[in-house]
Amino acid sequence: MSQDLSNATFSGYRRENGRVGVRNHVIILPVDDLSNSACEAVANNITGVMALPHPYGRLQFGEDLDLHFRTLIGTGANPNVAAVVVIGIENGWTQKIVEGIAATGKPVTGFGIEQHGDHETIMKASKVAKEYTQWASELRREEAPLSELWVSTKCGESDTTSGCGSNPTVGNAFDKLYPQGSTLLFGETSEITGGEHLVAERCRNDEVRERFMFMFNRYQDMINRFKTSDLSESQPTKGNIEGGLTTIEEKALGNIQKIGKKCVVDGVLDKAEEPTGPGLWFMDSSSAAAEMVTLAAAAGYVVHFFPTGQGNIIGNPIIPVIKICANPRTVRTMGEHVDVDVSALLRKEMTPDGAGDALLDNMFRTANGRLTSAEALGHKEFVLTRLYESA
Amino acid sequence: MIDFVVHDEGDSVGVVVVEGVKAGDEIAGWIMDQDTEVQFVAASDIPIGHKLAIKPLKTGDTVIKYGVDIGKVVVDIGKGEHAHVQNIKTKRW
Repeated sequence: MSQDLSNATFSGYRRENGRVGVRNHVIILPVDDLSNSACEAVANNITGVMALPHPYGRLQFGEDLDLHFRTLIGTGANPNVAAVVVIGIENGWTQKIVEGIAATGKPVTGFGIEQHGDHETIMKASKVAKEYTQWASELRREEAPLSELWVSTKCGESDTTSGCGSNPTVGNAFDKLYPQGSTLLFGETSEITGGEHLVAERCRNDEVRERFMFMFNRYQDMINRFKTSDLSESQPTKGNIEGGLTTIEEKALGNIQKIGKKCVVDGVLDKAEEPTGPGLWFMDSSSAAAEMVTLAAAAGYVVHFFPTGQGNIIGNPIIPVIKICANPRTVRTMGEHVDVDVSALLRKEMTPDGAGDALLDNMFRTANGRLTSAEALGHKEFVLTRLYESA
Repeated sequence: MIDFVVHDEGDSVGVVVVEGVKAGDEIAGWIMDQDTEVQFVAASDIPIGHKLAIKPLKTGDTVIKYGVDIGKVVVDIGKGEHAHVQNIKTKRW
């Protein structure tokens, strides 16, 4: 029997801007690659803070630069983050990111390394990080309605069991969350290839449909411009192929199972763009796992459903990633990475509703504080999407 | 015991969901949308997660899975044979 979600609540941290998060991270965020070292040193000095090193932030321009700022600001602004220290090589771009995050009302301070050096920057940033971690440690969870939990999904290292089992499980859960007024997300633009007409049919109106097709075609144009083969081993990946997926069309049909049968596509977002209301949103995004989850977190989503076939093992530093798997070989050989085992679906020992309910049960426990396998194993992949070369 | 699954009865392929299927094995299939069962013989060794043709397919045929077009046959495939990158390709890229 399906659970009644109409009065369901979860326990989360209500932030200054009204959003509710399910984790309470204090992060040390580098603007650029030069600042990684100072960020890691601060995280080494102070308990309970986490550095998010990354390789970019220099000489980017145009839309690629806009995306860089949007992603870093969005990461700091995410409701799972209590407070942020930002470190960059110079003050201008550092302050731009600080201001973007400060718009949420949460504590955030920035430091530029030029004219100060690593030692002084690390000392000053550590003092602030200490204040923040002690302040955050006194914050308490409160009860919030289910509709305030924003959930994203992306599948990874898919195989044929994804389309048969784990992806429809997400679809079943999404079909149950959608009528509660939830804010949901799916993406992976290239991985809709072969099923784009099916997604277009699910769009709320012509405006949404046109924007979806614009994003879809833009991605196809890019692939056609640069491809040297039929992308076999890249998309689908070698892992997908080892697991039995043969063509992108087959992968897409499996992928699309994640939006269930009832959800309507209410809007379309560019990469790392925040949704403007409840419903199911499509985000133009890479099919590379850590890139897409990083984009979802930057858009404000706080928990992620990640169905896998062959065993994708990524996590994310600020949002819990829940792994769902229907492949009995994967569950047997690398079960430490799996949160929700739905392999019984393919033995007819579990119903689709039972699988969806098992995922929702894990979602509530995760939201309320239970560490996912990826969190327990220390997986914190933070990967920025690039659009083209630096200048 | 379910050895392979088929999404829809109109599909041309099914997916093996157990390990160790060998050529000559009698295997049981579950057709999910219609909730019916079918039996036949594997004509190849088929790894877990890989597909088998559930009807004979000729070069140029469209492969149907989930009731839709998922690619084209580039080498003839006999009923019960392993259906994958060696005999099926995308139509899109």
